[in-house]
Amino acid sequence: MAAQDTIRFVPERCDGCGDCMKACSKAKGSASRISVVAGVGQGWEMALCRQCGDPKCVANCPAGALDKHGGTGIVGWSAELCVDCHLCTLGCAYGGIAFDPTAGHVQKCDMCDGAPACVLACGKGALQHLSAAARLHETHADKEDMFVPGLSACQGCNSELLIRHTMRRIGRESIVAAPPGCIPGMGTVGYNGQTGSKVPIFHPLLTNTAAMLGGIKRQYERKGQDVTVVALAGDGGAVDVGFQSLSGAAERGERVLFICVDNEGYMNTGMQASGSTTFGSWTSTTPVGEIGRGKSTDGKYLPQLMMGHGCAYVATASTAFLDDYHAKLEKALAASRAGFAYLHVHAPCPTGWRFPAAMTTEVCRRQVESNFVTLWEFTPADGLRFTRGVERPRPVADYVRMIGKYKHLAPADLERIQASVDRRVETLQGFRRRPAAE
Amino acid sequence: MNQLTPNSSRMIVCDGNEAAARAVVLARPDVVSVFPITPQSSLVESLSQFVADGVLGAELINAEGEHSVLSALQGACLAGARTYTATSGPGLAFMFEPYVRTPGLRLPMVVSLVTRDMLSPQCVWGGQQDAMSVRECGWIQIYCEDVQEVLDTVVMAFKLAEHKDVLLPVNVCHDGNYLSYGVSRVEMPAAGLVDEFLGEAAVNWHIALDPARPMAVDPLTGGTGPGGAASFVGYRKSQIRGMASALDVFSDIHAEWGERFGRHWAPLVEEYRLDDADIAIVTIGSMTGAGKDAVDAARDRGEKVGLIKVKMYRPFPRGAMIAALSKVKAAGIVDRSVSFAWDCGPLHQDVMTALFASPVRIPLVGCIGGLAGADITAEHFARVIAATAQAAGGDIPASPIWLNEHD
Repeated sequence: MAAQDTIRFVPERCDGCGDCMKACSKAKGSASRISVVAGVGQGWEMALCRQCGDPKCVANCPAGALDKHGGTGIVGWSAELCVDCHLCTLGCAYGGIAFDPTAGHVQKCDMCDGAPACVLACGKGALQHLSAAARLHETHADKEDMFVPGLSACQGCNSELLIRHTMRRIGRESIVAAPPGCIPGMGTVGYNGQTGSKVPIFHPLLTNTAAMLGGIKRQYERKGQDVTVVALAGDGGAVDVGFQSLSGAAERGERVLFICVDNEGYMNTGMQASGSTTFGSWTSTTPVGEIGRGKSTDGKYLPQLMMGHGCAYVATASTAFLDDYHAKLEKALAASRAGFAYLHVHAPCPTGWRFPAAMTTEVCRRQVESNFVTLWEFTPADGLRFTRGVERPRPVADYVRMIGKYKHLAPADLERIQASVDRRVETLQGFRRRPAAE
Repeated sequence: MNQLTPNSSRMIVCDGNEAAARAVVLARPDVVSVFPITPQSSLVESLSQFVADGVLGAELINAEGEHSVLSALQGACLAGARTYTATSGPGLAFMFEPYVRTPGLRLPMVVSLVTRDMLSPQCVWGGQQDAMSVRECGWIQIYCEDVQEVLDTVVMAFKLAEHKDVLLPVNVCHDGNYLSYGVSRVEMPAAGLVDEFLGEAAVNWHIALDPARPMAVDPLTGGTGPGGAASFVGYRKSQIRGMASALDVFSDIHAEWGERFGRHWAPLVEEYRLDDADIAIVTIGSMTGAGKDAVDAARDRGEKVGLIKVKMYRPFPRGAMIAALSKVKAAGIVDRSVSFAWDCGPLHQDVMTALFASPVRIPLVGCIGGLAGADITAEHFARVIAATAQAAGGDIPASPIWLNEHD
């Protein structure tokens, strides 16, 4: 799967020559799908599809003719499904989709199979084809990795990827809490006098991570020193025995960034169920047998509870959408200067959930495409905002069937999971701030 | 403000909880975390008011429970803060998980235990069962006799905890009800002199969470891997050394306190009218006052009775206890809690253990009183003295005397 690409417009370099439009028109044999337009002040602006993370054109389309591809990130248009209502053009604030009179229907940028003609045609460098990898490279390549090589995470685990990305961004002026779980289990805190990290790192108890971080932060605030204190916690230390201290620290608005890496159970110690374990899951304490059919209740959905604490920032993330994660990490870091910031990152576990190690990112993506996992962010002022649309999800069965821990489930169980997924989306939609005009 | 941290000592009237809070003001901690529990609540209320009034310039963390109280202080201490809190009974039980970890991290914090009997039966009154239940956790434990001793000892405890040869957390225990709410005249030492006495906090030079000194704090240690066992044993032995050092260090601190402030407390065990005594009673905490009255009354009757007050209980001052007991022919030991291992109290056990390490062999009479807020009066102590005198003559009770059994 390709990383998610976009076209960047650099207005300072644009002289309005129109070569890009000609190239697009020629490549597509129709009207140009991008337009150079006069800017508000001096210079030029570009009407261009941004391939939005939460595309309004897709949300507006009543026919299912527009869809954001989970892999490429490209918002695609289907001639078969389109009913020519043009509601999509009203949704887009960027002029990225418009009626093309020569073609007789709406048209939009499809990124020319990865080699956009407009970019190739621009001799001024005003258009740049930017992959997600390139963007991350631009912002993070020169940053130091804060963990030693050779952490011993299971094959296919996305937690190592996540913590390396996270701490590269946060850097050395930080203190990391890694409560008991997979993250210290892979060697980040070290063993017998040796450390696995270049930054100060410690094992809190499973129960007290947020409280300890709050105490650390208070003392550095007292000393007038700007130190980022961050938890790299599992779901057990957040939703179960760690919940009280997390709740208290959130209520007190401690200036802490708490990242919960949710693999839906105590995977480091042999795959026991946690409060986050989802309905139907096989775990070593919710086994499947003559009578037992896996976990009999739904998981506790912590991000929603954190919204209830009025945290400065709450967001969910998936490592299949790293761009989205990095954007949220930036916001969470900024928010943690003034209050409690909470990131909930989903971490499918190949070892404990029983799927091939090479499939982790695909599992992550399928979680999101099926709404089993929704991507959103929340602030008390702006309410909840989905950063990826939740309309027209794949059936949750498409996701569940990839995972070994669900293989015993009956059709009725799948219906129950689908119903609870649908209910959760509906509940989350209720946390959106409605425009004042409505 | 000046009233709370005067430039010269002065007299005030307050209870033990307020005395502890005023001692904390004098010690100038960086971070204080609080959660209320009977009979400690007025102590943390005082602290909160002192912070609100600007008298105590500490970060105040109103945590959601004792578990987080101590956890927040652990974090603050690792970041270099002088720290303080207070708890009691069920609060101490809830705090247990971070509590038991603190000594191994060698975090020199001071925590007052306003002692309370343990549930169940449900009770909210004084007793030392809470503190005695955690006597093997690695915290230094000190018991106070009166309100002035509470104030002086809380200040001294910071110096003890932070001493480089000790580096251990300290519990200063004062009895719920009798000291928490008992009001008396107290001399407040001068703040400037206390600053000189305590010096700058030095709490995290040995272990720190500090970007300027990156390290892994408390990685996995031990196991059967290379060097694991040696490493773990090394840490444990140094912890034991810190405990052992506390005896001499606390004695030196008391001597300095006496020189600076004119009050000379016995740091380990106090001997009261013991030198020519035939028998002694052994006390701990606030009961000592009534015990001394009973000794005085017995002396008035011509009976040669003395008293041994235990101030430092962990580490147990074995040498000082042996030296005191070697002066008498029998001793009656009064516990304000029970041991479920033997049919006696925990102090009784410790005294017996100490004696076994010496050639001194004298009969001991076990007494248990003051549970769940019950009073131990001079009359109760008269019974202890009588039973101890009988024991000196060979009539040793086979099981403890329950002082309040018929009250």
